[in-house]
Amino acid sequence: MSSFETYLLVRAQLENSHTLEIARGDGAYKAFSKVLETSMEPEAVTEEVKKSGLRGRGGAGFPTGLKWSFMPNHETDTRSRYMAVNADESEPGTCKDRVLMREDPHCLIEGCLIAAYAMRLEAVYVYVRGEYRLPYDRMQAALDEARAAGLVGQNILGSGFSCEIHMHKGAGAYICGEETGLMESLEGKRGHPRPKPPFPAGFGLWGQPTTVNNVESIFNVPFILERGADWFRTLGTESSPGNFLCGISGHVEKPGVYEVPLGIPARTIVEDLAGGIWKGRALKAWFPGGSSTGVLPADTLDTPMDHDSVKGAGSMFGTGAMIILDETACVVRSALVLARFYEHESCGQCSQCREGTEWLEQIIARLLDGRGQSGDIDLLTDLCNGMTPGKTICALSDAAALPVLAALRHFRSEFEALIPAPAEVST
Amino acid sequence: MIRITVNGREIEADPQKPLIAACHSNGEHVPHYCYHPGLSAVGSCRICQVEVKQGERPARVVAACRTPVAEGMVVNTNAPAAHDSRRECLEFLLKNHPLDCPICDKAGECNLQDYAFDESQAESRTSEPRRTLEKRKDLGDVILLDQERCILCSRCVRFMDEVPQTPQLCISGRGSHSVVETWQDSPLTGNYQGNLADVCPVGALTLKDFRFQARVWNLSRVPSTCSECSRGCSISAEVLRDGEVKRMRPRPNEAVNGYWMCDVGRFSEAELNRSDRLGPAALRNTAGELVPAELDNALRVVRNLLQTHEAPLILASPYLTVEEGQAVSELAAACGAQAAFFSPPANDLADDVLHTGDPCPNRRGLEGIGLTAMNAEAWAAASAGTDCVLLVGERLLDLLGDTALDDLPISQRLVIMECRRSDHRAVDVAIGVPNRVERSGTWINVDGIEGSIRPARPAPQGIRSTGDLLRELGSTSDRTEEALSS
Amino acid sequence: MALPETLRTEFDELCKKYPQGRAGLIPALHRCQEELGGWLSPEILTDCAEYFALEPVEVYAVASFYPMFFLRPVGKHVVSVCRNISCDLRGAQEITQAAEQCTGASCGSSSEDGQFYLEEVECQGACTNAPMMVVDGKYHEDLDAEAVTRILGGLK
Repeated sequence: MSSFETYLLVRAQLENSHTLEIARGDGAYKAFSKVLETSMEPEAVTEEVKKSGLRGRGGAGFPTGLKWSFMPNHETDTRSRYMAVNADESEPGTCKDRVLMREDPHCLIEGCLIAAYAMRLEAVYVYVRGEYRLPYDRMQAALDEARAAGLVGQNILGSGFSCEIHMHKGAGAYICGEETGLMESLEGKRGHPRPKPPFPAGFGLWGQPTTVNNVESIFNVPFILERGADWFRTLGTESSPGNFLCGISGHVEKPGVYEVPLGIPARTIVEDLAGGIWKGRALKAWFPGGSSTGVLPADTLDTPMDHDSVKGAGSMFGTGAMIILDETACVVRSALVLARFYEHESCGQCSQCREGTEWLEQIIARLLDGRGQSGDIDLLTDLCNGMTPGKTICALSDAAALPVLAALRHFRSEFEALIPAPAEVST
Repeated sequence: MIRITVNGREIEADPQKPLIAACHSNGEHVPHYCYHPGLSAVGSCRICQVEVKQGERPARVVAACRTPVAEGMVVNTNAPAAHDSRRECLEFLLKNHPLDCPICDKAGECNLQDYAFDESQAESRTSEPRRTLEKRKDLGDVILLDQERCILCSRCVRFMDEVPQTPQLCISGRGSHSVVETWQDSPLTGNYQGNLADVCPVGALTLKDFRFQARVWNLSRVPSTCSECSRGCSISAEVLRDGEVKRMRPRPNEAVNGYWMCDVGRFSEAELNRSDRLGPAALRNTAGELVPAELDNALRVVRNLLQTHEAPLILASPYLTVEEGQAVSELAAACGAQAAFFSPPANDLADDVLHTGDPCPNRRGLEGIGLTAMNAEAWAAASAGTDCVLLVGERLLDLLGDTALDDLPISQRLVIMECRRSDHRAVDVAIGVPNRVERSGTWINVDGIEGSIRPARPAPQGIRSTGDLLRELGSTSDRTEEALSS
Repeated sequence: MALPETLRTEFDELCKKYPQGRAGLIPALHRCQEELGGWLSPEILTDCAEYFALEPVEVYAVASFYPMFFLRPVGKHVVSVCRNISCDLRGAQEITQAAEQCTGASCGSSSEDGQFYLEEVECQGACTNAPMMVVDGKYHEDLDAEAVTRILGGLK
């Protein structure tokens, strides 16, 4: 495996990397200071992020700079503007943002400051899932340090630019990782996603212009401003530039969070970084980017890990969280585990999602329980096709249906094998 | 207004309202559960699917209640893709819905039934157990909740939040474990609870008052106006075959009551079904008993009383229509009587929603044609100063109070033209009249807006209209003298 | 009065972070649960409603949406075992069994002596160190049955 440049987890290797002293010594806040000192135009900052081609790291892969540019013209729309950093990280298999917040919170804070500057924000809220105590505490401590050092708050470093950054806690709902569900939860309500339109840039937190970005997306921003968009484009691929944190879990020898460039073959991650399939077994199936991306068969392992390639292979890049199933794994069992998850997490607004997630779980549970019926597989397919695409307020319905469709597409025989043969009918 | 095309027809659409409103106001049917024109739109039920084409973009299926209209939009509410989406949605909703139709009050006006029929979603593919929840949850005096029938459209929650603005209902839990409930199962309060049964698209929230009372397809509905205050909410009075008024519901009227009515008005129907109705006519016989008589005879007697007494008093019920009030005025002029309408005192029901606190539904109408309002004190004084009193109209005896007749001088002649029977010793002549669901006419509400009452059923046998009776009383006195002398 | 003055003062500070104070509700409910007995009683919900100028039914609707909030009393130590895919692939079911055996509580309920509340939860974001459980808010990762017994046994 050829070596590649890394930047995301470099500072994290230092002891006490989460402290201001160590972080600053390692160059934290240099990029932001440069932006302030050179009085860079806010719009120019957004342009640089756009030029870099950075795509959102929260699962959708939407170009970050483009999303920033959706914020309204500040001269004609003078409402307060906000960013919410999505640290809800609940996509099964995904555990990368917690590493970034825990080990290098100052880099995230710096990214927030640059984003706030670019989009002329009143405040940034970091919405952390309620279970992430240590990452939250590290971020809060780092914010306190930054504030004390004049890096956050009013008139930062005497520049005249002010920005507030606040931590906020969730309370155990995957649906609050959906950008409008996040906003509802942040406002102190049930995490019910909002229909779009209107879009957050026009009507977000408290009805004001808001951008919601994933932790890792914002984490990339200081590097882009420091080293330039051109540098960023030397990493990864043409349409998916940069590095990403790949959390690989399941049936491998060395599960872990590894920094790799986008476009790296999945096989390289599995075999060279994660020690290969555990217990000397063979690969049966793998999820490229979290449970919602749906399973792929073993013969696709050479797929490069970037947005376009994974889509071409019939799945999605998602959060880049690879989940590995070995030859002994039961795909139907995994389908049940996931069906249970989506049923538990559906907010309940949309008829198809509320009833469909429950129905899928019931059918798959019956199959595993030996009570499958001959029409069940076609019924599963029909129900999934009723839940996707784009029929509901948010994509949880799609996220619940796609893994079932993928499992049926690639491992139909495993489902069929569970259906008892019809009883002999005596004539 | 902008122009869009719906099902091949170009129509005008209000850009402030969602696409579904434009479709509905132009007679194009789009099914809906969570959407209600009187509430905020949340787009959660997903049944209002229509196909939309805008410019060069490919046609797509969208939820019409959360789709803004745009100039040049081309809408097809009958596209196969839209029907498929609706059918899918219905199958998901029916999967857990209990098979309660045979015992459910909502049958016949249930959106789940209706759309399942429209979309031919009849076959069930589920063998899974349905959710078991509370089926007869007591939410107080007005509403019963069946959580199993609930399709979680949240209309009820939004209604309480947005109309009376007293949050009392919530959806608790999450996903398929959500239920509608109140805080600690406490009963609902307020004067607008009945609307919950109207907004609920299925039989989850039902009226205790109407429970098992009638099948809605056996009810005949007549547009009318509520009588219980000067708001004059537009209503529909609904009568069962045998003539009982089974319920009253609000009718949409943007200028008056929006989509709602209060509980005081909604549940005022019991009085309309009372069995102690006055017959067509009754006179005192020689033994002094009040017995049924020929109506013509009774009218002759009343005419004579009015002619032969000086300055009789005609007191109209506040429930008389403008037309009937006019007839009272004319009769008073013809026989030199003082005419007024009884003005009940204001009550404490006035609120920010609909109720005005003035129990008189036609104050402006009766004042408008020159009748003075007479309150209880004025009535006591006026009735003491005359020898002949004619009380005209329904509920007047109730308004005056039981003891009012006791205070009348023995010498005074009292004629009542009422709905409620009274054998009180003070009554000399009693003539039955139709009540407010048995006659037509105009009431004018607190804002000067006209509302009509309409007959939802015929008046009891032999009872003639109040207007006719009054006009006969005021007709030429010659015939009377002729009759008396013959 | 379920909400002590100290918490109210804390909430005053908390709500300043937001242009609309209601945004402090969920962080406030966390603090209530942490400080006032490990669950959100009706009295606590009512007091929070009064503090945030909401109706109790509205606060209840919010609290009941989020699994981290308990609306009934739970055992002294809350043990949450992840049952999602990465953990399931690496033996989460054995972890649950071991936890049940050690605590004497069955999943979704408290032990009879009130020492433990055991539940299965969805992905906690520790997938690369599966299987795992959360005990009183602290993550315990890379578990096996023996480790579970040791950790939970130490709390008895």
